[in-house]
Amino acid sequence: MSMTQGDTAASSDHIRRAVDLRNQRGGLVKLRDWITSRPEGGIAVLFAAVQIVVIAAALANPQFRYLSDANIAVMLKAIAPLGIMALGVGVLMIAGEFDLSVGSLYSFCAIVTATLSAQWGGDAGGDAVAWAPFAAAAIGLAVGTGAGLLNGYVTLKFNIPSFITTLGAMLMWKGVTLLYHGATSLRFKPSEPFATLFGGSVGIVHASIIWFLIAAVLFWAMLHHHRIGNHFFAVGGNRQAAVAIGINPVKTKLIAFGLTGFMAAFAGIIAGTRVSSIQPGGGQGLELVAIAACVIGGHALMGGRGSILGIVLGTALMFTIQDVLLLMRAPGFYFEMFVGALIVVAVIMNMAIRRRG
Amino acid sequence: MNAIEPIAPSEPPVKGTAPAGTPLLEMRDIVKRYGSFTALDGMDFHVGKAEVVALLGDNGAGKSTLVKMMSGINPPTSGQILANGKAVQFRCRADSEAAGVETIYQDIALVDAMSITRNIFLGREIVKPGGFLDHRAMEEKTIEILGSAVQISGIDDPEKEVGFLSGGQKQAVAIARAVHFKRNILLLDEPTSALSVRETEHLLAYLRELRGQGTSSVLVTHNIYHAFQVCDRFVVMSHGQKVFEAAKADTSIDEVTYHVIRT
Repeated sequence: MSMTQGDTAASSDHIRRAVDLRNQRGGLVKLRDWITSRPEGGIAVLFAAVQIVVIAAALANPQFRYLSDANIAVMLKAIAPLGIMALGVGVLMIAGEFDLSVGSLYSFCAIVTATLSAQWGGDAGGDAVAWAPFAAAAIGLAVGTGAGLLNGYVTLKFNIPSFITTLGAMLMWKGVTLLYHGATSLRFKPSEPFATLFGGSVGIVHASIIWFLIAAVLFWAMLHHHRIGNHFFAVGGNRQAAVAIGINPVKTKLIAFGLTGFMAAFAGIIAGTRVSSIQPGGGQGLELVAIAACVIGGHALMGGRGSILGIVLGTALMFTIQDVLLLMRAPGFYFEMFVGALIVVAVIMNMAIRRRG
Repeated sequence: MNAIEPIAPSEPPVKGTAPAGTPLLEMRDIVKRYGSFTALDGMDFHVGKAEVVALLGDNGAGKSTLVKMMSGINPPTSGQILANGKAVQFRCRADSEAAGVETIYQDIALVDAMSITRNIFLGREIVKPGGFLDHRAMEEKTIEILGSAVQISGIDDPEKEVGFLSGGQKQAVAIARAVHFKRNILLLDEPTSALSVRETEHLLAYLRELRGQGTSSVLVTHNIYHAFQVCDRFVVMSHGQKVFEAAKADTSIDEVTYHVIRT
């Protein structure tokens, strides 16, 4: 026995040397290896390059107000709702499934929250009820989570592609929204402290971006450092292997579906609080933008590959481009053209870097 | 017993050799039916301590059905399974895991997009309170595990993604994982089909080494020459029945080949 152990120690030596060597790399080598080995490496390079160019342009030309407080505040505010939604969508993509219903749920859950809050006396005013918007938001989040779990249940129970299930759910929740509320926009002016907690700001930083960062950190801890995150990667990367090793794919995927519904509802409520009104069709199309943000951030369409940093950078890069175009007074359709090109370029770049690595 | 008529009863079923002592795993009179089709028909099979058993036979002989049964994902229609002499039920993967059985699948059960460390500890993660992964402890263990199997693989970085490994290296990781988690029986279903000649040699040598350390293996293969290099006992199946069984000392490569091709 002691001899076996001695052998083991001896034969592990070259691995230890390799690991030590890896830990002793210089900063630049580490950075290069990170870029080539991580799925979000390519987008990180692109993001840094875009920021450098734009900031240099802003410094050189005072007419280009990219670095003004007002612009930074607006850009951060714009990132948050989509970023929150994309966190859920991205985790579900890693687990190997899609959710196209998040845009419809975004609107529906926000409308449920606003309606219930108003019914329970939670509208801002003299005798506003403080707890009403919180209770209403809890219901809204529960509806979102429930809808996500339902997507998962139908997908897994009947073994059909989630693309189909959630395509149906997207149309269904859109219809339910119109049935529940109608097509008019809905005012949402919640009482304090809800309004400040979700709609206030610290300097130029809006509450929504703080919530996005909190959510991103929690998701990062879960996806990259918790057992359940490990299982998301496994069921998305190789479902049969996960089953063979004893992971329950149904349970794992259900959790991801539920999280996605929850985050869609959360995004809707945050966005509704910020602009004080909710459009029943406001979330339409966001599902594809969220998926685009994840793909730009290095997620594999087939699952098993992706990262929280990638989702954050993908979302941030899209909104940086939108912001720059707005500052240059370009018409809105340029945004779609650029994002369209960006999706393809980002994927090509990721593949090229990975192949070289 | 309600045996179906084999289409070509080229060889009669045999009882085979009785196990010496208490085997690690024993299957008695196993029948498996899928509707009206009988895949296994009164099959006896056992794996003793520290032995490598070859399971041979042509396509459709029932080898894979038997392997799936031993790995717990395919319960028998009737028959008895004993682990260390005690009757057990193999209804799911957890049952076979409890009996110490690990299957190395033909299409290797590793996740390409994950690192070696994460693959080895997949589903059995070392966690800190709250379920958070203990990355340091897992990497440390992986270094030790790879150290014991590294001769067959040349893997030197536990953080490497499994997708970048060769077929033989992947197999090495899968086997190292099985051995680390104290499996005492490895089921290898056509393990050499995806390997190069050199990798195959390494794998067979590794199975011998494991036998020396007390781990038994069942090798399912088409390649009788590979089987003869490592196996202690040969079981030939045909039409869901055992048609030949002999210890290595009592038979020859020609005899085993004869029984495989005659079926």
